This record gives sequence, C-alpha cells and structure tokens, in this order.
Amino acid sequence: MMVSKEATMSDASKPAKRPMSPRRKRYWTALGLAGAFGGVLGAWMQMTQTDGATIGLALLSNSALPANFAIGSSIVWVVGMAISLILYHRSVDDHEERAYLWAGTAAWYTLTLAAPTWWVLHRASLAPAPDVMLLFLGALAVNAIVWLWLKYR
Amino acid sequence: MNNKLKVLRAMRNWSQAELADRLDVSRQAVNAIETGKYDPSLPLAFKLARLFDMPIEEIFDDGFEGGDDE
Repeated sequence: MMVSKEATMSDASKPAKRPMSPRRKRYWTALGLAGAFGGVLGAWMQMTQTDGATIGLALLSNSALPANFAIGSSIVWVVGMAISLILYHRSVDDHEERAYLWAGTAAWYTLTLAAPTWWVLHRASLAPAPDVMLLFLGALAVNAIVWLWLKYR
Repeated sequence: MNNKLKVLRAMRNWSQAELADRLDVSRQAVNAIETGKYDPSLPLAFKLARLFDMPIEEIFDDGFEGGDDE
C-alpha cells in the first residue's frame, strides 16, 4: 500500500503536547550544555585528585594538578561556557534577563566586598591568604540564590 | 504596576503556560507580570497589546490619574 509522504507527516504532526518553540529549545540546549560541561569537568577534576583528603570537594583543594588536565579543563571551561552563554543569552525572555542581571550584580557586589576585605586582613596577618575558588564559589552561590528568587518567587 | 492580564487571560480560557507560549516567554514571566512582581519591557507590552487587540494603557495601569479624563 502506498502512503503519501504528506499523509504520513500529517499524522505524525499531531503531538499530544504543544511543541517547544525555537526559543525554548535553545534555552534548554544552553542549560543542558552548561550542565554537561560542568559535569564532565567536575568528574574529571575529581578523578585527578590524588591527595584523597578532599573527596567531593575537589574545587576547594589547592593541591597540584597534572598539566594536561589544567590545559584541557581550561579549554573546555572557556569554550564550553562561551558556547553555552551565547546560546543562553539568545534564548532568555526579558523576565529572566532581568533576574540574570540582578543576580550578576549581586554576585559582583559580593566579590567587591569580600575580596579586598580579605586581602587587606591577610596583609595585616589577621586572616589566611585569600582563596580564589572560595571567593568564586561564594559569588556563584549569591548569583544562584538571587536568580532563583527573582525567577521563581 | 497594576494590570488586567489575569482577567484578559481568563476571558479567553488560557492557562498561564498557553499565554506564555503565545508570547514566546516562560510561564514564570507571565506569572510575574500577573502578580505585579515584574513590569514587562516595552516590546513585550506591545506584544501583549497586539495579542489582546487593545491599547497598552488598557492592559496596564501605572496609577497616574491626572491628564486623561475620559
């Protein structure tokens, strides 16, 4: 029996749910890519940890890393984040863009307040040496909290 | 800023998700506008006006009472 291509396409084009718009597809692709890059980097970093003292907290460790991992992860981070962020900014609606801008501002203020303060206290021997990753993770946490609050409150 | 979005949406029997699809924004954006937690950008306000076929000032009310006495 001959079934025309058009008839087949017509039957197949009756989805139970409304199809995703191109914007939503780009949005979830961007988030998926960012998550995948982050997951790969996290797992790879954890596998290179040899001291065993920081299992699960590899990001906070200051132990030496193999050069091939350092180069490879730097490339994956920069290229992966650049691609994901371009896709993300091309797909967000203006409500989320506003949440993102305020979250970024709050994260920047966190860094602006914490980094010089910690540095000055360290130079007066009142605090340990500033930890870049701790500052980064602190700013990232503030960013995430503000973004989630503005988007889902 | 107050708005009639929830009423206009209900009159058409649209869910927040359905309106969001028609505007190509997230459901959270529609919810935030309806509850007054977020004022849409001018392009989105125009999109809403075209969708509901009415002027922007009939959908949104900034509380200003002077000037227009109609």
